[in-house]
Amino acid sequence: MKMNLLLKICSAGCAITLMAGCSAKPKSDQPAVPAAVPAVTYFKVDPATTGSITGTIRFTGKKPMPKVIDMSEDPACVEAHHGKAFDESLVVAKNGSLSNAFIYVKQGLEGKTFEVPKTPVTIDQSGCWFRPRVLGIQTNQTLQVVNSDPVTHNIHPMAEVNREWNHSQGPGDAPLNRRFVKPEIMIKVKCNIHSWMHAFIGVVENPYYAVSKDDGTFEISNLPAGTYTVAVWQENLGTQEQQVTVTAHNSTASNFTFKGK
Amino acid sequence: MRQFPLSPCKGNSWQRALEAFLFCCLHPVNWQTLMYMRVRLRDCRVGLRETPRMSAFPRAGDVDDMKAEGNPDAVTPTRKIGLRRLAAVGLIASSTFSGLLLLSGCKSKISDRPIGNPVAIHVPLGLPPVPIPPGNPPTADSIALGRKLFYDVRLSKDNTVACAFCHNPSLGFTDGMGISRGVGGMMGVRNAPTVVNAAYLPLQFWDGRAVSLEEQAASPIADPVEMNQTHEVSVSKLAKDSTYKAMFLKTFGPGPVTIGRVENALASFERTILSGNSAFDRYQFGGDKTALTPAQIRGLALFQDPKRGNCAVCHSIDATYALFTDGKFHNIGEGVGDDGNFKDIGRYHQTKLEADRGAFKTPTLRNIANTGPYMHDGSLKTLKEVVDFYAGGGNSNPYLDKEIRAIALSGQERGDLVEFLKSLTGAMPPNVGPPAKD
Ligand code: HEC
Ligand code: HEC
Repeated sequence: MKMNLLLKICSAGCAITLMAGCSAKPKSDQPAVPAAVPAVTYFKVDPATTGSITGTIRFTGKKPMPKVIDMSEDPACVEAHHGKAFDESLVVAKNGSLSNAFIYVKQGLEGKTFEVPKTPVTIDQSGCWFRPRVLGIQTNQTLQVVNSDPVTHNIHPMAEVNREWNHSQGPGDAPLNRRFVKPEIMIKVKCNIHSWMHAFIGVVENPYYAVSKDDGTFEISNLPAGTYTVAVWQENLGTQEQQVTVTAHNSTASNFTFKGK
Repeated sequence: MRQFPLSPCKGNSWQRALEAFLFCCLHPVNWQTLMYMRVRLRDCRVGLRETPRMSAFPRAGDVDDMKAEGNPDAVTPTRKIGLRRLAAVGLIASSTFSGLLLLSGCKSKISDRPIGNPVAIHVPLGLPPVPIPPGNPPTADSIALGRKLFYDVRLSKDNTVACAFCHNPSLGFTDGMGISRGVGGMMGVRNAPTVVNAAYLPLQFWDGRAVSLEEQAASPIADPVEMNQTHEVSVSKLAKDSTYKAMFLKTFGPGPVTIGRVENALASFERTILSGNSAFDRYQFGGDKTALTPAQIRGLALFQDPKRGNCAVCHSIDATYALFTDGKFHNIGEGVGDDGNFKDIGRYHQTKLEADRGAFKTPTLRNIANTGPYMHDGSLKTLKEVVDFYAGGGNSNPYLDKEIRAIALSGQERGDLVEFLKSLTGAMPPNVGPPAKD
């Protein structure tokens, strides 16, 4: 009886081996199916319900004197920059409007997941300068790092929430394609080789952000009607917040003023 | 099919032969497979352990092998072997068995040791004595033979590629290419390092997979993307040439041309490719304080200062000589991709230690001004780019060597380092060029 059982187990085993052996056909014609990813439902923005926020960022107080950046230690940079380079950490126009401030929706979009744009956001190292200096990007969106200069740069996003990294990029090297997976306001970026090069990256989970233009204005459009906390960040002046209620088809004003010393 | 040829060197030759036999019984084999197995067993016997089979990047040759192996038989259900087939397999297998036994079991009893009087190798200023392995003392004959072999295209499949094709004396014994190309323009996988002063390296290749110059020498000959010629063919080509016949006889005594003898002669010649007596050597070891320019002297100080350039921790300068390499493996971030992985995992191929991912052997810096482009993947084109790479702290990755960090260096200081690197160009010995040109 015992023997019989053993035999049965044995033959079953053999059969399985055989079957396994026979089915070992090439799997090439089978399309590779990626492991099941839990389906994400992205928030659909209904254009009928959206409005926008527009405004101007201002600075009152003594306008900073333009400060020349000394690149003389890397002559190739002096040449590549074409003309004098000025410190851009606080750029105020004649009428007091402030450029390069980062404006984003800080609260009011909880529970909504937004699709990640397929197009990358580009930061160029050109004239030994980061262009743009202030930029926004969505989590998991590709940041494309380009080096247009005839010199080597070493871009170093000093992230605190995201992973900090640095990478060398020689003249003519291919762009880097990187991502930040967590929201972070703001990631300070430097070049490990050229101490004067700085940029700031705002990583947010939605497409509702803007950088103030030379005339201090900004616009965040296509925002579903609702009440939001809008925040503005400026590298020297810190942050401010406002409550803003957006209604469909309307543009709601939201202006910010930073007081200087 | 892949397991067998991937680990041909385990156990003794009897175990290997038995393994080969069992393999033939259990798998459908065609003649190509048999040839392949034969070559693998042979490689293993001559010390080519698992060498060119690197999983991370199948070489062009692998593709061919896979074609050879991915034969129609391999995909037919193997267990339904009919009696006739079984008999056929048995026949092939048993005949190969004896063949394999011959190949793997009978290690060559012919001595590969040169018979002449060992010669002393002249060492230039700045280098230590050359280490000589006990089994292969260099003789005038073995060096001359090695030199002829080094420049001989007949060691390649289509008689176009000599060692000197990729280790060209007028390019500091490199090929000036980012990634080397072998017979028929086949793309290799790495940058060709110089063979100058390779005699001092404890391990050969970027990943250290050969323990001696002898072991190293046979590998490019058979490598599908380098010279792509089996050792049998090389040996028989050489044996047909009366000049070589005489040279081998004079060097090693009676007996056939063997790959072991080829290796030993090549290695002995390479032990004479030494370069020192550079401006740096005259300054540092020769007492000539005018040999370096002020910029180079500043560069040397930065190079050695652990708080500044910190280069000498890996590119060593000793008290009485300087090899500019510690012979060890380090990850400096070269070759890390956007996803944080290394396309070429370097030393990890050999050790399978996590810490060795992306680590490559510290190359010598002698004659560095003549051996660009730089790094294992040839990705840095100029010395300025190299110095800027280090100044920026390389590329971050989880395995980065702790000695690599951003260094605050002014533009002038970076220039001084480049100037210093240019002072490492030394004289080449007189007798290492192509033999005909003497
Ligand atoms: C097709 C180009 C090519 C040919 C031909 C070639 N090599 Fe190489 N050689 C290389 C490359 C590429 C490497 C580095 C490979 C690696 O590390 O994986 C190398 C490495 C070496 C090294 C190791 C040096 C070090 O610093 O680790 C030596 C020694 C060497 N070759 C000698 C030879 C000899 C001897 C021959 C002729 C039998 C030869 N090479 C033929 C391209 C070539
Ligand atoms: C942690 C050890 C380490 C330190 C410190 C280091 N190097 Fe290197 N160096 C290496 C290794 C390893 C490689 C090869 C890396 C590769 O190819 O991936 C290399 C490659 C090079 C090369 C290219 C050589 C060639 O033939 O391709 C140059 C030039 C060089 N180093 C110069 C320097 C200078 C200058 C410094 C100091 C600023 C320095 N190194 C500091 C380990 C080091």
